This record gives sequence, C-alpha cells and structure tokens, in this order.
Amino acid sequence: MIRKIQVVILATLIVLPVLSFAMDKISGLQIIENVYNRQTGNDQQADLTMSLINSRGDERVRTIRQFTKDFGAMEKKIMFFKTPADVRNTSFMNWSYDDENKDDDQWIYLPALKKIKRISSDSKSDYFMGSDFTYDDLGDRHPSQDTHKLIGEEMINGENCYVVESISKDEDYMYSKTVIWIIKDKWIGLKKDFYDEDEDLLKTLTVKKFEQISGYWTILSTEMHNVQKNHTTRMQLENVKIDTGIADNQFTERMMRRGL
Amino acid sequence: MFKNISAFTLLLAILFTAGNLHGESVFISGYARNYTGMLLNDTREYSIVQNTFDLKFEHSRNSVAFKANPYFYQYFDKDLKIGLREAYLDILFDKMDIRMGKQQIIWGKADGVFITDIISPKNLSEFLLPDFDEIRMGVTALKADYYLGDHTFEAVWIPAFSATVTPDTGSIWYKTLSFPIAPIFDDSHKEITPSLQNSELFGKFSAMTSLIDFEVMGGYAWDDDPTMHIQKSINPATQQLSGITLLPQHHRLSIGGGSFSTTVGAFVLRGEGAYYSGKYFLTDNPTAIDGITDKNYLHYLFGVDFNIGDTRISSQFIQQTILDYDEYLKNDEFENTATVLISRTFMRETLKIELFSYIGLTNEDALIRPKLTYDFTDGFQFLLGVNIFTGKDGRFAQYDDNDMIYFKVRYSF
Repeated sequence: MIRKIQVVILATLIVLPVLSFAMDKISGLQIIENVYNRQTGNDQQADLTMSLINSRGDERVRTIRQFTKDFGAMEKKIMFFKTPADVRNTSFMNWSYDDENKDDDQWIYLPALKKIKRISSDSKSDYFMGSDFTYDDLGDRHPSQDTHKLIGEEMINGENCYVVESISKDEDYMYSKTVIWIIKDKWIGLKKDFYDEDEDLLKTLTVKKFEQISGYWTILSTEMHNVQKNHTTRMQLENVKIDTGIADNQFTERMMRRGL
Repeated sequence: MFKNISAFTLLLAILFTAGNLHGESVFISGYARNYTGMLLNDTREYSIVQNTFDLKFEHSRNSVAFKANPYFYQYFDKDLKIGLREAYLDILFDKMDIRMGKQQIIWGKADGVFITDIISPKNLSEFLLPDFDEIRMGVTALKADYYLGDHTFEAVWIPAFSATVTPDTGSIWYKTLSFPIAPIFDDSHKEITPSLQNSELFGKFSAMTSLIDFEVMGGYAWDDDPTMHIQKSINPATQQLSGITLLPQHHRLSIGGGSFSTTVGAFVLRGEGAYYSGKYFLTDNPTAIDGITDKNYLHYLFGVDFNIGDTRISSQFIQQTILDYDEYLKNDEFENTATVLISRTFMRETLKIELFSYIGLTNEDALIRPKLTYDFTDGFQFLLGVNIFTGKDGRFAQYDDNDMIYFKVRYSF
C-alpha cells in the first residue's frame, strides 16, 4: 500500500510540472502576434534623435519630428527632418496597410526641388538615412510573413522573456533568421539578433529604455549594433505624446510641404 | 551698386535683429559655397569661379508666416550679384493657404524637364547646369490653395510677367542664330508692360491617393522664351539682302496639361503632358511675316524609377510634337529626348556616385554629367563633377567646346 502511494506521489511529481508547462505553453506565432497587436494608442507624436556611430566612434546626428495615426485598416506616418542643415524641411510620409498583400505608399518632399516624389516601398532592405536600420526593421512586419518557433525562455535585465526564432517564408529575404527576446507580461521585444544569408550574426537590436505613457508600453530608446562592420545606430524618442487627437489632415501633401 | 549693397545690408540687419527685439526667434539657415569650374578644351580657362552665400529667414506666428531667401554671388571677374530668390508671406486658414510675394512655384512630375512646370521662369545664364533651385527663379505672385482631404485646388495670379534669363553676350553659354550678314537687335518689343491685362493666370487640381497621384492644370500665360521676329531689308537697286533686324518678342500662350505618378510593384511610373496653343516657330515660308508662324504643339514625357540592388535608376522619354506641321518650319516635327539618372550611395550614405544625362535622340547629341559627392561631416559636402557635351547638332552639341570639370564645396547651417 505504502509502495503504491509512493508510486502515485512520484508520478504526480513528474506529471504535474509537465502538465503545468503544457497548459502554459504558448506558440511562437502567438507570441509574435501578441507583440504585433500590442496596443500603442490611436496616435503618437515624438521627437526622434538618431545617432550614427562609426567604428572610430565618430558620431553623426539626425533629428526628426514624427507623427503617427491609426486610421483603422491603415496607419499613416509623417516625418519632418530638422537636422542636419542640408536635409532640413525634407519630409517623408508612409501609409501602411493591415492587408499584408498591399505595399506601403511612400512619398518624400525635397525642399530644394519643391517637389513631392512618390517612391517605391519595395526596397525594404535599404538602410534608412545611412543608419543600421533597414526600412523593414523600422516597419511592423506582419507575423504571417515568417515561421515562428519558441526556442526557450531567458531572463534579461530582470525581465522574464520568451525567446522566439523567426524564419522568413520568402527565400529572398535579407535575413536568414532573427531571434527575438520578448518580455512575457509586456509583449515588448527587448533584444533581437539578425542573421545574414550565411547564417552569421549581422546585427543586434537592444531596447535601452521603455516606459508606460498614457497607459501604453512605449519603447523610448534602442540601439542597433552591426557586429560585422562595428558601427551602431542609436534611436531615442523624446517628448512622446499619445492619443492627443492628431488631426487627419496632418498626413497630407499640404503638411509635407509646409513642414514644422 | 553700393546703394544696392547698403540697402541689402540694412535689410539683413533688420532681419537678423528683428527676432531679438521682440523676444522671438527668426529661424535662419542657409549655406556658403565655392563653385569652381574649368573648361576641358585646350584653353583650360575657368568657366566659373563663384562664391555663394544663400540665406533663409523664416518666422511664423499663429496662422501667418514669412520667408525670405536672399543670396549673394561673388565672382572674381564680375560685379557682386545680390538678389532675393524668394520673399513671401503665408496666411494659413483651416482649409486654405494664401501665399503672396516672390515665390518659386513648381508643378509636374518630370525631373529636369519643363512641361507643366512653366510658372517660375528659368535662369538659363549657365544653360541647365546650376542646381534646379537656382535655375528656377522666384516670381511675384498671389497663390491660393484650397484643400479637400487629399485633393488640392490651386490658383495662381502673376501680376507682372518675368521672362527666361538668357546668357549674357560674351558668355560661353551665349549662342545666336547664324545669318549671312550681321543682324541688328531691336529690343523695343521685348518688354511686356506690367498691367492687369498683361498678367498671367494658372489653375491646378491635384490629388494624392494610394492608387495614383495626379495633377490637371491650365494656364493663360506669356511664352517665357521670346520669339525672334526676323525682318529683312532688300536693296532695291541690287535686290540683295542689305540688312537683318531681329526683334525678340513674347507672345501669349494657352496651356492645358497634367501629370501622374503611380507605383507598380517595384516601379514608380510617371507621366506628364501639355498642349500649348499659340507657340511661334521660325519658318522659311516666304509668305510668313517676320519669318515666324504660330503652331500648336504637344510636349509630353513618360518616366520610370526603380532599383537594381542598391543602385537607383530613373529614366524618362520626352517628345515635343509640332501639330499641323509644314516643311517650311526650321524645327523638326518631332524632337525626342531621353534622360537617365543612375545613382548609388556608399559608406552609410556619405559617398554618392551619380550619373545624369540628357540624350538628344533626334540630333544624337547629349549632355553627360557624372558626379561624386562626399559628406565630410554633416552639412559639409564636397562635390566633384564633369559636364560633357557631345554630338554635331542640337541643344547639347552646340556647347561641345564647353566640356568642363568642376568642384563644389558647400557648408550648410
């Protein structure tokens, strides 16, 4: 009898954690969808400072004022370049769509030419303004574009994170895979490794600062380090305001030309 | 001259100090630039040695704003040239903006080609070589824009006509028609008296949508380029040509046109076209008065922009077609031109290599412009370029002796 009880206790001790883990189990896709669907507010405005640091430590700084608004099935974003002086008053507008089959619409206003030019959003692998961020890195990549696999859990900076590996379904995608560390209870990516076509580590994105603003978890400071070329880009958001009711006409040709 | 400089210095002093006086800041930006060019022919003469100081003053308060853009061009062999590229006031309403004053107004989707972009006159004193913000001159105008979502109605009234600036006689860019005897110039008909009936009117409707961006425009204007009326004198005794008088004169033009740009996959497709009514052309028809005849003509373009890897490519095909053509006309019925732009950046966009070319398909001539730009630091840029004119006849071939290498250093602030 005692032996039977011992067997039952032993079995319970073995099975319970397994059952518990199975019940708690979440798929890689669900984690990435949670990050993608994390509420960020209906609109946001902020000052962005982008610092480009080369392997010698020389720093070049770009400052941008940006506005974003959710229009339901589409999101509009407009950026006004403040410095350096030779790009001042240049503006860039992007309309992105929930429909993953629809490409973004993009325009750039060049003050020297006094012209708004429509540009193709096809070159997502282009680097944004000479930084270490590609246009794809800066955009909201739809979860269905990749295959996601939960490969573990890890503590980073005191935060309990899921570790998810994502491989693009498009064989021509610029990265062979990415690995992202996502904070469990906040659905914020805290760190992301990007691997090149040879499956060597190319660059690492680290989130340096995030806060709750107007009730939304908001990333305020990131750093992208290209480990192969040893240069870095820091992005810092300041004066962040969320849900202030930005007017719809902020995202028009008129505002691109008018500037700040 | 000194009076002009004094007045200008006073203006700058007022602008610089205005903000301090009222505790408000006038935003000041601009650039200083050296531009040195040398001809590649046997003379190795300098085609240009120019020092530029370009300033922009901007200020806004509530729903009004102003901008002034004075510039200074200093040459070692010419007088200091000073002027205002733009100087205007903006009044901003909920759905409408009004801009009054000297302003550059740019329409259309074409690059480096002027089809519906005919409001701001051009400064062609150095052909098409300067930057486009320096080729296009500001024009005194009243402009009103009314906005309906992503649609815009724009109306422009230009009270006094401004013509294209042509190269000075003696300039390497000055070219004239060839005649059997030296002509006499009579500029008495060249000026357009500033008056209400001589003003110009333009209107445009434009839209920026996810599917397509487009503009539809119309205008009642003056031809920015004067028609050369040719009056010949015959010696009654010998019945030989005894004199030629050239009378440059501007004529009224009516224009209707439009442009579009859209994205198809990785390609941006652009188009622009205009119908010009009342354009005058030179003719050999013996019955034609002053050797000219008016013909309507079409000017249109198709362009495509795309990337191959990290290289950006933009190409345009342009055609000018004279309607109701006759064999006496000196111009060809069709004049075809192409443009090609290939560019690529390196070193995190600090180094840029670019090749731009106008290719005259009708006359088989071209202007080829390779250049290399390097941002030494933010706002401090070096540019090294070459302008090569090739061909036997045509707009570009006529400057075959003007091949040049040039260097620009620019500090922006």
